[in-house]
Parts: sequence; C-alpha cells; structure tokens
Amino acid sequence: MTAPLLDVERLTISYRIGKRWIPAVRDFHLQLAPGHIVGLVGESGSGKSTVALALMRYLSSNGRVESGGRLAFAGEDLLSKSDAEMRSIWARRVKLAPQNAGAALNPSMKIGAQVTEVLGAALGIGGAEAEQAMLRMFHDVNLVDPEKVAERYPHELSGGMQQRVVIAMALITNPELLILDEPTTGLDVTTEAVILDLIRGLMAKRDTGVIYITHNLGVVAQLCERVLVLYAGEIMEEAPVEQLYAAPRHPYSLGLLNSVPRLGQSKADSRLHSISGNPPALAELTRGCVFAERCDFVIDKCRAEKPPLEQLGDGRAVRCFRWEEVTVYPHPKSNAPSVPRPTGDDSEASRRRGPAHRDRLPPIAMGGLRGVEKNTSPLQRGVRDEERVLQKDDRDTDTLMRVTDLKKHFPVARSLGDWLRGKKPAPIRAVDGVNLTLGAGQTLGLVGESGSGKTTLSRLIIGLQERTGGQLELLGMDIRNSVRERSPDVLSKLQMVFQNPQNSLNPYLSVRQALRRPLVKLRGMTPAGAEAEVAQLLRRVNLREDYADRFPAELSGGEKQRVAVARAFASDPDLIICDEPVSALDVSVQSAVLNLLARLQEEHGTAYLFISHDLAVVGYLSDVIAVMYLGQLFEVGAASDLFQPPYHPYTEALVSAIPVADPHHKAERMLLHDVLPSAQRLPSGCRFHTRCPRKIGAVCEEEAPPWREVDAGHAIRCHIPLEELSALQHSFLRREEIA
Amino acid sequence: MNPSLFSRQIAALRHFAAVLLRRPQSALGTALVCFFLFLALFGAGLAPYPNPNDQSHAVRVSPTLDIGALRLGEHPFGTDRLGRDVYSRVILGARSIFRIAGLGALISVIVGSALGLYMGYRGGWFDELLGRVIDALLAIPALVLALVLVGIIRNLDFEIGSWQAELADNVVLLVIAVLYVPVVARVARSSALDIKTREFVEAAEIRGEPTTYIIFREILPSVIPALVVEASLRFSYAIFLVASLGFLGFGARPPSPDWGLMVNENRGGFYQLTPWALDFPALAIAILVIAVNLMSDGIRRAVQKGN
Ligand SMILES: Nc1ncnc2c1ncn2[C@@H]1O[C@H](COP(=O)(O)OP(=O)(O)O)[C@@H](O)[C@H]1O
Ligand code: SF4
Ligand code: SF4
Ligand SMILES: [Mg+2]
Repeated sequence: MTAPLLDVERLTISYRIGKRWIPAVRDFHLQLAPGHIVGLVGESGSGKSTVALALMRYLSSNGRVESGGRLAFAGEDLLSKSDAEMRSIWARRVKLAPQNAGAALNPSMKIGAQVTEVLGAALGIGGAEAEQAMLRMFHDVNLVDPEKVAERYPHELSGGMQQRVVIAMALITNPELLILDEPTTGLDVTTEAVILDLIRGLMAKRDTGVIYITHNLGVVAQLCERVLVLYAGEIMEEAPVEQLYAAPRHPYSLGLLNSVPRLGQSKADSRLHSISGNPPALAELTRGCVFAERCDFVIDKCRAEKPPLEQLGDGRAVRCFRWEEVTVYPHPKSNAPSVPRPTGDDSEASRRRGPAHRDRLPPIAMGGLRGVEKNTSPLQRGVRDEERVLQKDDRDTDTLMRVTDLKKHFPVARSLGDWLRGKKPAPIRAVDGVNLTLGAGQTLGLVGESGSGKTTLSRLIIGLQERTGGQLELLGMDIRNSVRERSPDVLSKLQMVFQNPQNSLNPYLSVRQALRRPLVKLRGMTPAGAEAEVAQLLRRVNLREDYADRFPAELSGGEKQRVAVARAFASDPDLIICDEPVSALDVSVQSAVLNLLARLQEEHGTAYLFISHDLAVVGYLSDVIAVMYLGQLFEVGAASDLFQPPYHPYTEALVSAIPVADPHHKAERMLLHDVLPSAQRLPSGCRFHTRCPRKIGAVCEEEAPPWREVDAGHAIRCHIPLEELSALQHSFLRREEIA
Repeated sequence: MNPSLFSRQIAALRHFAAVLLRRPQSALGTALVCFFLFLALFGAGLAPYPNPNDQSHAVRVSPTLDIGALRLGEHPFGTDRLGRDVYSRVILGARSIFRIAGLGALISVIVGSALGLYMGYRGGWFDELLGRVIDALLAIPALVLALVLVGIIRNLDFEIGSWQAELADNVVLLVIAVLYVPVVARVARSSALDIKTREFVEAAEIRGEPTTYIIFREILPSVIPALVVEASLRFSYAIFLVASLGFLGFGARPPSPDWGLMVNENRGGFYQLTPWALDFPALAIAILVIAVNLMSDGIRRAVQKGN
C-alpha cells in the first residue's frame, strides 16, 4: 500500500447531551490510500455521519473530538489545524457530500452560482469556463436541463435533484479525499448506477481516496474494496469486501447481509432475516458488548465485558467473542435462502426456486393477456392486439380489481403568451392508458424510475386524485373517481401504506387514537369494541400493547411503519396500496416490515399493489410485476419470470443497474444516461426510444410497439421479436460473465 | 381525554414556559404584561378612587409620587384640570385596553384560523374568491381602514339599546376583527396548504373523514404553534391600534378612562397646565406596547425552538 492519504487512530467523538459529554463514536480507526475506497456500513444512528463530520472537522458546536486520537490527512495532523488552515483544505483537497443535501445548499443563492463559486475557490477558474464545467458535471449526474437547474434556487428542486447537485459539487473539484454520506439513498437504481460509475472514474483519474457511507450492502459490494461495519459507535468488523460477503465473522454483519432480499428471492421461499430490537440510545451504553441486546449468539460473558477488536490477519478484524462460530452464511452466488424460515418446515426443494415452484404460483390474472392458447412455444407466439384480447376477458371470481385504460392528464396552466396566441399547452400525461388486473390475495409489484407515473397510478386507484379517463372495477363494481364520492364500503376495502414514516402518522395523535378511528369509522365499532381491537392490531404487527399510548415522536421509523400497516389493516381491506413503504427504512428494519407484510397477506388474503424502486424488494413480495415507463406499462409478468431474458429493454436496464450484493459480480452495466423525457412532450412511437440501448431504427420512433406474449401472463411491448430479444440478452449476460 | 395525554400537555406547556422565561427580555416583557393584566382584572379594587370620573378633588394637583422615599401620597400622578385622580384613571384604563385588544385579537384568531384553514384545505372557488377579498383588505393601510369604518358606523343613528347601537359602541372591536381576520387567515391558510400534503391527512381522506374532522382533528394541532405566535403578534398590534384610535378620538368616548383618549384630551394648550395628565397614560401605553412586543417575540422564539 502506498503512503496513507488518511490515517485515523483511536478517534473518539462525543456529543454534549444535557450537561454530559457522551462518546457517540469510540476508538475509531481507518487507513485509506490514494485511489482506494472504503465503505462504512451500519444502520442509522450507528455513528457513520458523526465520523464523516469529524473527519472533515465539521462537527456541530455540541460535538467534539476527544484528545488522544490521531487524525492525519496526507501526513498532516488535522486536529491541530486552525479554521483558516482548514478552509483551504476544504476548498480543494477534501470534499464531503453530506447526507442532508437540502441543508447543504445555500437557500438564497442560485444553484449555478453556488457551484461556480466552489469551482472558483478550488481551482481558481471562473466565468464561461466554470459555467461549462458545471453544465458538464450536471449532465454527468443525470440532471435534466442543466441550464435550467443552474438558474433555480435550492427549494425549487426535488430532494433527488438536490442530492445530485450536492454530489456534483463534491465531484467537480476533483478532490484528493471524497467522503460521500449516503449519496444515493432514495435515488433510482438507474441514476445510482451512473453516479457510482462517476465515482469510479474519478478515483481512476485523480487517484482520489473515497469513503463511501451507506446502508446499502449492494452498493458496497460493487464499489468498495474494504468495509468497516459500525454499530452503536464501535467498529464491529473490518474486512476486505470479498471476505466480508463470503464469510462475515460478526453476528451484526451477518444479520445485515441476511436482511436484504436478493433478486429472485420470493416470499414463497422464505422469510427474510431481520435483526430484532432497536440500537441502543447514546446515553444507555452498557459495559458489555453493544450488540448484546439484539444478538442471536449472545452469552453471559457478552453482557459482562466488552469484546476487544481482534485482528484475524489478512486485514480482517472483528469485535466478538464468538466470531469463530459465525459461519452460517452461504456463498452469495447461490440463490438458496440463507436463513431457514422461522417455522422450519421447508424442504430444501421448496426453498430453491425452480420450475416446480413456478407451478405453485397462483394463476396470474392480467388484463389483456388471458385466454390465449397456451400450447405453442412461448417464443413463437405472435403479436397480440390488446383491444381484442381485452374483450375476451374472463370474469373469474377471484379477480379483485380491474383497471381499464386508466388515464390521468394534468392540465398545464396557460402562460400569458399561450393565451394571447390562443394556444392550449399540452397536458402532462402522467398515466396514459394502463390496463391491469389483480387477483384476490395477490401482490402486484409496480416498478419504474421516479417520474414514470407509479405514484399517480396508485393515487388514482385509491381515489386521492381524479382520473381523466378509464374504468376502475373492484370486485366487479365500478368505483367512483374520488374518495369523496366513494361509499364507506368501498373505502374500507381499499387502504394505503405511505412512504414516509415521518409523515404518515399525525404527530399529535397517539397510536391508540390513530388506530381507533378507522375501526369506529369504517368497521362501525363501538368505542369499547375498538379498544380491544386496537390491542389486537398492535399484536398483529408485533408491537407491545402499551405502544397504544405512545406518540409518533416516541417511535422509531420501523415502528411507525408498523403502526401505519396496522392502521391500513384496521378496516380489514381487500387491497392495500403500498407506495415505497420500506424505502425510508434501514435494511435491518426493512426486512422486518417486509416479513410482516408477507405474513399478514398470508393470514388475511389481502392483495397488495406494491410500489418500490428496489427491484429485489418488489420481487420478494410480488406475484406479478408490471414495469412502467412514462405513463404506460411496457412489461407485465410473473415475478419469477420478469428478471431474466427475454425482458423488455427497459426492464433489462433496470435489472442491470441493480447493485448486486456480491463482490464477484463485477458486471458490465447497461447504463441509462439522461433522465426520463418530460411527460408533457412524450417521444413518438415507442416512448422508450430516446434512451433505449437496443433501439432498432426508425420503426421505434414512428410506431407504437405491439404487445408480444412470452408466456401466459408475461408480455413485453417492443418492436424486437421475442426470439431476437432473448438471443441478444442472453449473449449480453454471457459477455458479462466472461468479463 | 386520557390522563396520559393530559399530563403530556401540561409537561409541554411547562417546558414552553421555561424556554420563554429563560431569555431575560422575554421574561421581563411577560412579567410586565402580567402586571398590566393584573391591573385590568383587579384595578377596581386597587385604584384609590374606584370611580374614574370622581371630580371631587382639587384641580391640577401636581404628582405626589416620591420614588426616592417610596411614597405615593394623595394623588401620586396628580389630578387633571377637571379634578380627576390621574393615578386611578390610569389603573382603571388598563381594563378597557385589555378588553378591546384582547377580545379583538381572540376573535380575529378564531375567525381567521377557521376561515384560513378551510380555504387552505378545500381550495377551489371559495379559496379563490376569499383570497381576493383578503388581498384587497390587506392592501388598504390599516389605520385608514380603521378610521373609515369608525367614521361610518359612528355616524349612523341607531335606536338606543338596539343591537346596532351595541355594535357601534364596540366599533373598535369590529375594526380589529376586520383588520386582523385577513392577516390570521392568510397565515392559517398557508400552514394548511403545507400540512394537507402530509400523508396522515391523506390517510384520513381515504377513510372518508368529513372536512371538519380533517381540519380540526388532523390539521389544526400542527398549526397551533404558528397560531399562538400569530395571536401574540395580533395582540401587540391591537394594543397599539386601540391606543392610536383613542388618541385620534375615534376610539373610546369621553369620559372613559382610556389611555389614548387621556393623551388626546390633555395635549395642546392643556399640556402646559397639567403635563402629568398626559405623561402618565402615555408612559403606560409605551411600556405596555414594548412589553407585549418583547413577550410576543419571546413566544415566537420559544415556539420555534419547540419545533
Ligand atoms: N448534533 C448532534 N447532537 C447530539 N447527538 C447527535 C448529533 N448528531 C448525531 N447524534 C447522535 O449520535 C449518534 C450517531 O449518529 P449519526 O452519526 O447521525 O449516525 P448515522 O450517520 O450512522 O446514522 C446517534 O445516537 C445520534 O442520535
Ligand atoms: S460479543 Fe456476544 S453479544 Fe457481542 S456480537 Fe459477539 S456474541 Fe453477540
Ligand atoms: S420498441 Fe424499440 S425503442 Fe422501444 S423498447 Fe423496443 S427496441 Fe427499444
Ligand atoms: Mg447518517
């Protein structure tokens, strides 16, 4: 290894809470050489951001680095530097892209001016040259209309856009050390893939050292060389990435790795592993192992004394008394679930995905594609005329919901110029003719980049937005446009779990009040009856009954989301719409909520419309998946078929962009540059043609592609014949494996 | 209400008070406002001459107040040219200013928040129409609007004892409401616009909750901090307005012991004779206005900190 760029030893960082200084991060160390990248992993509150801020000497006034530690950057001791000296280092040599992008931008300054100012301070370039560099960088991080973005103020950008601006600001100065704090959390996989690529490029070009903070283990596997696993402010495990994934030695690392569903894993195979309980609060740190409360391996000794960070050689270290026994993790290449179902009743065969399993799937009811002859070879089936097949539908009894030609066009306000010229601006066609059928008790997964219309579609179904056209049938009844017109009966059958646990519960109502209301309102219960049912609901979502008296501020993110799930189940609905319900949660908590949703579905036969940008999560919970792009569906199929060829070129790009939690899988990516075109000016022909990596020519630009059926219930909307598509995609995958 | 909720609210209130009083300026302002409030409530018992229009004293007596010796004397603030005890009149005047400004602010906040929350939540033509009216009202300078309103209503002849006459007597209250309802409504409306996009409001909508439930149970609690700040601000403006109207002769009518009116009655040539009859009520106005401002500033800070 070359001389370290960053050398950190025995770093302890404290926060003042009340009158006491409490060490939030204890005895941290880290060595980083130029051109290398280390990942910092752990759930929220584990101290990752605190480390990042301390390395930058950016701690808030109630935080401090305790003396006795060492923090050297390129051989210089940073701890003894004055603020003025630090400022010159901040300007050019080290950059932090903080977790909270919104707070990192100056609200009263245009985006462009902020970025060029950074450039001026760092590289001394200004004027047109800086402008050019900025616009190039904006383009590189997938920001649409870089010129327009530069002219806006931070509050005029969405969270995802702010995040990309902050990343652009950090990357643009080509720093020697780059610290990225959860930079791609909440971004689409396609954008994430592009940004990870940029970071790799920067490391190669400038020999930049990178510290990458995340809770996404897939990203770490793809990007990092070494990983530090942090928990409650202590390093739990340190290892080269291959070794960590092949054989984690710490129970916490094992738990994290097992919590993420892998692509292709399904609720039918196994429950996900989850780490029960919550991380300890800062003030209640114990004498023993900090992980003891949540550890499956805990013994008496763990509570009595603190395990040392033991060096295992090969650059590995682990802080656990029982590390030698932590060996149950299988090689990540195998698809077998890593943790047996809690019930433990499964045979090996049913745990492995195979043809037998596929037969067990419930019949896939999908509008527009049923009733087609099933005996021809899938790839020989021709083009299906959607209209014609739609009429052939069979109203079988287990169809829960049928969506026909659903449309939502948002009108655009006329500008004065338009008004004078008598022009009417084109509407934004957020949802533009969607057909879907959902069977009772099934999960329909909806995937697509943000802006593709997933949320609008779900809001049309739930009735929070009024549709422009199309029909919506629930259990054979036509249902009305908006919630205000719907009967209580319909309302009680359709419920929703929202994305952001922070906002989904009223901060001024207790859990009891939040759960009682739907019981009284939609199930007509008496207050006394509702009281008993509240306790029941809480138990069903694995919360203690005394949680009823808590307020949202006293719940963790995962607990809030459980209450939201309980609230959705209170009216005993037939369909629950889940719009990104786990995206805001840590992996360890995410798996618990996914398990809960899977279990409740089994028990109550509730159907889900499940939206997520995480394909593995959607794959885990779904029976049928629909891929949406610019207001239309482009592929629909059984979850078990969808992520392998032949798939739609857009699906292919989404799948290719997923960071796989397997360091050996350094795949060639199919990067989707640019962002979605505007839904106001939709591309002609195939809407995907402006970005399609497999575009075949003029026909894609001129003609809307036909639906082609792969299999009963699996269809793709593309001009490329299925045989050809399949061949192309298989050869791409083979190339990938050789690479 | 369940007991745990109640005790939580008490705890929150105590915390709020602690934050408010920790800042010396805010503590001073709050203490002074409480002092005046005390006068307003119990002034009748404290004033040496409970009848403000008792003219049985010698005229134009100089103040007997001796701060060095801590002695009030017979007429601490002297008597005016009609032989009325200024000290008693200042004490008794506290009630009228608190009654009008306090009640006016309260009415404005209640009516304004109800309107604003409804406008913000429902939107549509109702919001559009009322929004225009509010913008128009806010465009007119406050004092001009006040003077016009008072002028019109005062000049109408009403049968004594009819409700119109009652209204005319409380015209300043009406003026405060007309002036401040739009201001409060605008604040409440923009808060409602913010809160209504939160997912818990949508969760209430998909259970089919009626509008009133959503506004009062789901939205209002989150808006209350902003409304508390607005209420304290409106109160401080109302105090100033009541005093100004009294001074201009458009507020309370003689012989009421209104501070603004007292200043008005004793200015000009009379000031040479009995400067104290003007100075003391003017000082009372000044102290109260400053105190209320300090307090409302403190409340704003405390609420912001609480969030
Ligand atoms: N400014 C602060 N003041 C007090 N405590 C803080 C502050 N920032 C973070 N903490 C606490 O320090 C611990 C580590 O937090 P953080 O560094 O944000 O973790 P992570 O980035 O891994 O989510 C947590 O217990 C958190 O509550
Ligand atoms: S030391 Fe004990 S409690 Fe801590 S991780 Fe190891 S086994 Fe678990
Ligand atoms: S129709 Fe053409 S542009 Fe559209 S997905 Fe197929 S190949 Fe790509
Ligand atoms: Mg963080």
